[in-house]
Formats: sequence, structure tokens, C-alpha cells
Amino acid sequence: MRSELPPWSAARVENAPQRAIARLTGRKAVRSGVLWGCVFGVTVASSALGYVAAYPTITARRAFAAMFGSNAGLDAITGPAIRLETVSGYTVWKSLAFLSVLGAVWGLLIATRLLRGEEDAGRWELLLSGQTTRRRATAQVLVGLGVGFITLMAIASLIDVAIGHLAKVHIAPASMLFFTLALVSGAAVFLALGAFTSQLAATRRQAAGYAGAVLGVSYALRMVADSGAGLSWMRWATPLGWVEELRPLTSPRPLALLPIAGLVGILVVGAIHLAGIRDLGASTIADHATAKMHTRLLSGPTGLALRLGRFTDAAWMFAIGATALLLGYVAKQAGRTFSTTPSIERALQKLGAHGTGAQSYLGVAFLIVAVLVVFVAIGQVSAIRSEESKGHLEHFLVRPLSRQRWLADRCLVVVSALVACGVVAGTAAWVGTASQHSGIGFSTLLDAGMNIVPPAACVFGLGVLVIGVWPRATNIVTYGLLAWSFLVNLVGEATHLSHWLLDTSVFHQMTAAPAVAPDWTTGATLLAASVAMVLLGGYRFVRRDLVGD
Amino acid sequence: MNASAISTSGLSKRYGNADALVGLDLEITEGEIVGYLGPNGAGKTTTIRLLLGLIRPTAGLASIFGSDCFRQPVEAHRHVAYVAGETNLWPSLTGAETLFLLGRVQGKVDTSYRDELIGRFDLDPSRKVRTYSKGNRQKLALIAALMCRPRLLLLDEPTSGLDPLMEQAFRTCAHEARANGQTIFLSSHILSEVEALCDRVGILRNGALVEMGTLAEMRHLSALTIEASFDGSVPDLSRVPGVQAVQVDGQVVRCHVQGTIEPLLKVLAASRVHELLSREPSLEELFLAHYGPSGEQAGELEDAQ
Repeated sequence: MRSELPPWSAARVENAPQRAIARLTGRKAVRSGVLWGCVFGVTVASSALGYVAAYPTITARRAFAAMFGSNAGLDAITGPAIRLETVSGYTVWKSLAFLSVLGAVWGLLIATRLLRGEEDAGRWELLLSGQTTRRRATAQVLVGLGVGFITLMAIASLIDVAIGHLAKVHIAPASMLFFTLALVSGAAVFLALGAFTSQLAATRRQAAGYAGAVLGVSYALRMVADSGAGLSWMRWATPLGWVEELRPLTSPRPLALLPIAGLVGILVVGAIHLAGIRDLGASTIADHATAKMHTRLLSGPTGLALRLGRFTDAAWMFAIGATALLLGYVAKQAGRTFSTTPSIERALQKLGAHGTGAQSYLGVAFLIVAVLVVFVAIGQVSAIRSEESKGHLEHFLVRPLSRQRWLADRCLVVVSALVACGVVAGTAAWVGTASQHSGIGFSTLLDAGMNIVPPAACVFGLGVLVIGVWPRATNIVTYGLLAWSFLVNLVGEATHLSHWLLDTSVFHQMTAAPAVAPDWTTGATLLAASVAMVLLGGYRFVRRDLVGD
Repeated sequence: MNASAISTSGLSKRYGNADALVGLDLEITEGEIVGYLGPNGAGKTTTIRLLLGLIRPTAGLASIFGSDCFRQPVEAHRHVAYVAGETNLWPSLTGAETLFLLGRVQGKVDTSYRDELIGRFDLDPSRKVRTYSKGNRQKLALIAALMCRPRLLLLDEPTSGLDPLMEQAFRTCAHEARANGQTIFLSSHILSEVEALCDRVGILRNGALVEMGTLAEMRHLSALTIEASFDGSVPDLSRVPGVQAVQVDGQVVRCHVQGTIEPLLKVLAASRVHELLSREPSLEELFLAHYGPSGEQAGELEDAQ
């Protein structure tokens, strides 16, 4: 029989186990690192270029800095505003806190996926049967993850240095490199934390949950520290605070790298140590092997999906509510600057903006909430696909349940979840604005909440279509569309992109409510497109083979 | 006459350039236990997944109790339970919760039989699925299938991972199912299991059904094994019509006889035979006789699937 394996020499085979796991992990991590490196770089680029375009004169920049430089509510979200009258200060203010959290989410997800996820899937067992030990294998995975991290940092650095080189921006390469290092520090800490919790938890879901909880607490502590309540010392109690203390581009403090590097080192050593003392498949934190029978929501596949995803769904709902609440809380103060920024005011007027400055601010800021709701939609698409790829769906479809019924029920749940997200966002934003007497009505903000549902529904529709026609590409296509839409919106803010290109972003189809009245016709068109994609995807799904990973 | 439990006509499945199943014509009547054999990649799992509508045929028809497997899957599945060789269940549910869920989706459960099965298979249903060994997960899948007392059980290597005691418990359940008039379509590599349970056996090779019949019929078509011990000189049996694979070991000769044994008996009668043993081929020998040199293609099919 002809072999497809490469004709390795004995020496190469001997060395292979030392690096095979690192190479395997590295390949996956690098792919992800390339994508997220681009996201990091383009976010920084859009911030810097957007600032230069929106505030071309020193007078406009000073006015902007005067408005935002002392807004404690806003500082709680974005971190302290330092030297906002400069491109450097604005770029840090706009992107550091946001990208630190995004990087942290990336780090914890990729680490738990490639460590605990591989173990859950049973592939770890195969690797460990080779010439390695649990500790060595874990160390190799960490090397692979490190390569992915370095790829992310390298790509982001390249873009950042290139942007800094532009005459309008003019930031020295060394400063930009330190800034990039600060941006990715959050990713490094939570990547190491994900590796550590992978050794503590019994499943990947649990491991990601533990690391996610730490991220939530870190973010909350950082917010309290930046809230102007005299608690700035609390920044030293959270890794996200350490990242802030690096103060890149404004007044760099490389010493703050010490706790970051120290924690990463401790977590990495801890992960390798714990990998060696626990059994394969077992957890360090005691896991209950038995449980009392709870039949709640176990009446069928839809109930099961709700039960299995209840914590994740609740966490997303909380994140959306908290974000909208904070945006509502700072809207009044933040909105004042909009009326003094002619470029923004002109842009909003073109869109038919009306109402107070707070409404204008929320019209722009609700994009963040819209992104979160799209994440919910993608999470649901991913869960639907994962039921099929893991083989769980077979257990239902070999029983008297049609594929149409199963998919229709799942779609109904997703639509309900997206509508709930809209209601939560609108209501929470109203609570925030009402607490500051911003004078925006409940129905206005509820409409703004509902306004962000159609783009998410559209992404969901596309996800179901891909499940029908090219199931293995579901995650790539849906996350790709989100990244593309987000980047087009960001770049579109700073440059004059062709409207054909802008129209490819789902967020561009959304009006800037509550600054602008929601365009329900466009919303209905997006929903109709979504329904059409769901129907087409469903049609293909019931006529194709079930497909694994 | 019993109803048709499974009926296929020209059922075919192609993956790219590889034929996983070619023109399968199968008729299984209600109450039968049919074994389905074949080397890895021969098309056994493909057949079962086609019958369940999990994959779509390239050509042909299939029905279960008269309901089309692809157009009327819900109706067809009302009477079916399935056990896969590799069971992947929800890790965070307990065994009891899994049985409850699958019972609700199936729509009917004989709860006292379910409890009896849990005892027979010695399963702790309070444990979470992620803590089960492969064998325990397989037991759970078997209980989930049997507890509904379906008219048709589609079993794809159901005892994979079970210890001999549990394998015996499975055989008892299969005999009970037959006594209740249930039909079993059993794909297995454990030939002794198939030999002990099945009324008919089908052998699949390279996606085509090369043999189908009762064990007696298949043995009749196959070679008889003869072993003769001689007191005096050993006669030359290699030229006797129907005699194959002659092996001489001192005064002992072993050979296979295809077709009538009369010419061999004539030669033996003329010699001083001390002892004469004959036996029918085992299922393993029958299987190996049909398992020709086609490993390469079988491997390719597995890859395609």
C-alpha cells in the first residue's frame, strides 16, 4: 500500500516528539494570532487617523480634551484620559482599555480551547501516549500558544509602527512598540490564566468560566479605581490596572511590566506543575462526579440548549445590560462635547440627528452594545453547529424529531434571545440616563435597543445559511463578518470609504439611534434578508449529510 | 407473513470518487435478527446512517416499516432505536438525566424495564456522563435504545467497550427482544456474537453485499474442513476433485473440500484411515473467505467518510 506519510529519517522522528505538540498548537494559535493582530492594528490605526481627521486644529483638540479630560464616568469605561489634546493621548484613551479586554478574552478562550478543550475531546490522550509527559506536553502547548501570541504582537506592532510613521500622526517607533506591548499585555496575562484554569477545571467550559470570572472582577476593580472616588490605588489590584499603569505614549512606566511578567510566569509555572500532579481528564478543584437528577428544561432539544447555555447567556445579558447602563450614565456629560465638535455634529445632522447631546453620544456609543449583541448571535450559531459537529444532534434526529422542527425551535430561541438583548440594552441605558436626569424618554431608548437587533439577526441568518451549505466554515464566516463589519465601521469613521464598501458592514445598516430615529424599513429589510437566509440554510440543512468537525 | 422491517433498493452512497455503498438491495422482515459484517470501511456504518437519514443517498431507496427513510424520517424513527459504536453524549448531564431526556424525545419509555436494564448493566445513573468510562457510556446508549422497546433496533457495534459479563447481558436482552417480536439489525466485528444471535448474516465488501443468508446456507456453499490420520502411507489428495489447501503433517492430512465429498471418501476408503474428523466452517472462516485483498480501497473509503 502506498503511504502518504513523509519518509522521515530516524533522527527526525527521534526529535519529533519534542516539538510536535508545540508545532501543532502553534499552527492553530498563529492563525488566530494573525487575525487578531490585524484587528488590534486596524483599531489603533482607525483611532489615530480618526482623531487627526475629526480634530485637525489644536483649538478643536483642546476643546475636546477639556470636555473629556475630566469625565470620571467616562474614565471608568475607557480608563483615565491623559493628554487628550494629542494624537498619542487620544489613541491610548480610545484603544488601550478596549483592546486590553478584547485581548484578554482572546487569550483565555484560545488557551482553554487548546489545552482543556483538546483534553475534553480525547485528543490529549493520544498525544500523551507518545514520548512525552503531561508536564512536557503542557509546556509544549504553552510554547505553541506563545508563538500565536508573538504573531499577534508582531502584526499589531507592524501596523502600529507604520501608522506612527505617518506625518499626521508622528509617533516614534520605540514608543509605538511599547504601546503595542501594553495593548497585548492583557492578552498575555489571560492567556496564562486560561492555561492555569485549564488545570483547575473539569471541562473547557468551566475553565473559561473561571478565567472569565477573574476578567469580570478585574474589569470591575479597574472601573472602580478609575471612577475618581479616590480609589486609584486599586489599579494595582487588577491586571487590567497594571496595563493602565504602563501609561504608554503619555508617560511610559516600564516598571509596571514587572507584575505582569511575574503573574504570567507564576501562572505558566503553576499550569505546568498542576498538569503533572493531576490525572488526565480530572480537575484540581474537586468536581462532583454525581448529582441529583434535575429534569428542569429536559423536555427536548430546545430546553436542553437553554439549560446548557444558561450561564453563558446570562453572562452576555449582564454584559450588555452593564455596558448600556454605563453608557447611559455617562451620556449626559460625554454628550456635551458633541455639540462643540463641528465634524461630529455635521455628520449626525446629515443623518437627521436630533435631541440632546446625550442622545447624540448614545447614538454613536450604542455601536459597542450592537457588537455585543452580534457576539450573542454568533454564540448561538456556534452552539447550533457544535451540536452537530460533536455528534449530539444525532441522538435527537434518530428519534421522532425532524431536522426542520429542531432547527426552527433553535431559531425561535435565538430570535427571542436577541429581542431580549435589545430590551435589556434599551432599559439599562434608560436607567443610566434617568439617574443623571438626561431627559431621554424610555420609549426612545427602547427603540434604540430594538434598533441593534436587526444587524445581529442578519449575522445569525448568515450563520444558518453557512450551516446549511458549508457547515465547517460557520465560525470563520460569522466571526469574519463581525470583524469585517467592525473594521469597516472603524476605518469608515476616519476615512472616506466608498459606500459600496461601507454597505458591506452590518453595522452600517443600523441608524445611530437614539441620535437618529430608527429606520424601521431598513431594519425590516435586514430581518427579511435574515429570514430568507435562514430558510435557504434550513432547506440545505435538511437535505445534506450531517457533518462532524 | 411478517411485515418488512427494512427494505432498500439500489441504495448507494458516494464520497467524492469513492463508493461507500453500491446498489444495496436488502429485505429484512419483522422479528428477524440480522448480522451485518464486513471489514473496516466496507460500508456498514454508512448503511445504518443512510437508514437513519443522517446522510443522504447518492441513489436508491430505503424504508423502515414502509416509511421512506428520507421523506418520512419522523414516521420511520417512531419505531426505531439506534446505538452507535462511539457514543458522544452531553458530559454535564447525569446518566439518569440523559435517559430522561432521550425518553422524552422518543415519546415512550417502559420505565420498569429501564430500571431493570440499569440493574442488569450495573450502571450508576447518578454519575455525570463525563465521568463514565467508554464502556459505561456504551451501556447508557444501550439502555436508552432498549428502554423504548422499539420495533427495530439498529445497532452499530453496540458492545464495543463492554466487558464479557456485560456482553452477555446484551445477548440476553437481544434474545428477549427477539422473543418480543422486535427486529435487530446488528453490525459487529465480534463474530461469535453474530453467530450466537443472528438468524441471517450479510457480508459486505467494498460497499457491495457479497453474501446474504442463514449460517446454514452459507456453510453449505463453503468448504468443509477435513482432518484424517493414517496408519500407513499417506495418499496424495491434492488431485482429488473439490479438495483444496492440502497440508500434510506426518501421518495427518488437513484439507478443505468444496462441493461433494464423494471423490475424497473413495480415496480415503482405499487407504488405512485411523481417524477422520470433519467440521463445518465457523463464521470467522466464512467471513475471511469473503474478505479478499481489498484493504487499500477499504482504507480509502474510511478516509472519505
